[in-house]
Amino acid sequence: MSAEYWPWWLGALAFGALVVAFPLLVGRRLGVSGAWERVLHWKTEREAERADAVLDDMSAFEAALAAETAAAFGAADNEAPGAVATVAAPATPSPEGAPAEVQRRMPLTTQLVLIVSIFAGGLIAALVSGRFEWHTDMGDAFRSIVTGGPLMWVVLFGGGVLVGIGTRMAGGCSSGHGLSGCSRGEPVSLVATAVFFGTAVAVSFLVWKVI
Amino acid sequence: MTALHAKVAVLGALFGFTVSMVGFADFGELNAMFTFQDTRMLLAFAGGVAVAALGFLLLDPKRPTRTRIHKGVVPGAVLFGAGWAVSGGCPAIPLVQLGAGYLPAIVTLAGVASGMVAYRHLNARYLHIDAGSCSI
Repeated sequence: MSAEYWPWWLGALAFGALVVAFPLLVGRRLGVSGAWERVLHWKTEREAERADAVLDDMSAFEAALAAETAAAFGAADNEAPGAVATVAAPATPSPEGAPAEVQRRMPLTTQLVLIVSIFAGGLIAALVSGRFEWHTDMGDAFRSIVTGGPLMWVVLFGGGVLVGIGTRMAGGCSSGHGLSGCSRGEPVSLVATAVFFGTAVAVSFLVWKVI
Repeated sequence: MTALHAKVAVLGALFGFTVSMVGFADFGELNAMFTFQDTRMLLAFAGGVAVAALGFLLLDPKRPTRTRIHKGVVPGAVLFGAGWAVSGGCPAIPLVQLGAGYLPAIVTLAGVASGMVAYRHLNARYLHIDAGSCSI
């Protein structure tokens, strides 16, 4: 069974390439829990997005107004003869290039697209590898290691709740902190990853050996 | 559907594809990774971090703004790690499990969604943890 899965180096190359490609092409780091969080709070996020759009319009309007004012009357505190040119520069607010892409929120609809496309990618993988099969349980390993009875539903839901609360409390999950943040050498992500991985190791041993 | 949506769709699908092909949707593989019985997936994950670190160094060396380690990081990561180990799901994995035909993954997803919604209320009312820009 395990032999059918990709060798480690192929997985490493694919994960690494995607984690780099995502922010370069999309302008935001790859993080799935953040996408969920926003899609789940669709209504409030939508309102926030509209408010941001209005604010953007207003600051663009103010910038244009400032540029026009400078063009018409000359810049007040500028002794250089090329006043218009120098004033025009700060009128276009470029926030030092760097943090904008990280801070900038993605359109809400792209977050929904991310979630649906991860499902689609999983479906395609299962189909092409011949691994697709309808299951009403979580497979043999889950049955033998955790539980096969009706307790399974409790474990899945309860574990899911812990994942939901934990990822939002920590501000990221295995993709956002683990892959994206760690590869950037961010201290907060290194700490989060060490802690969630360490806990998962301890709990997995417990589940495997004891329960 | 803009160009941005299309890019997200392609990258998201490739990510889901990779998660599945590496074996993260398989609880047996996951438990074997966390108990160090099989280091293949561990190496895929750690290797992915190494490849990405090298990629960023070469292609996009400017560092993002540092986020402080707020008080939610450690307890949140503990809850997440425990939940992942018992359910086999992180925010992405149940989607991939569902794609492979594992129907109960819907219940895992319902749990994740409930936890996230509950956390927002819990945080607003009692915890008041400001994750700042650290919301990945």
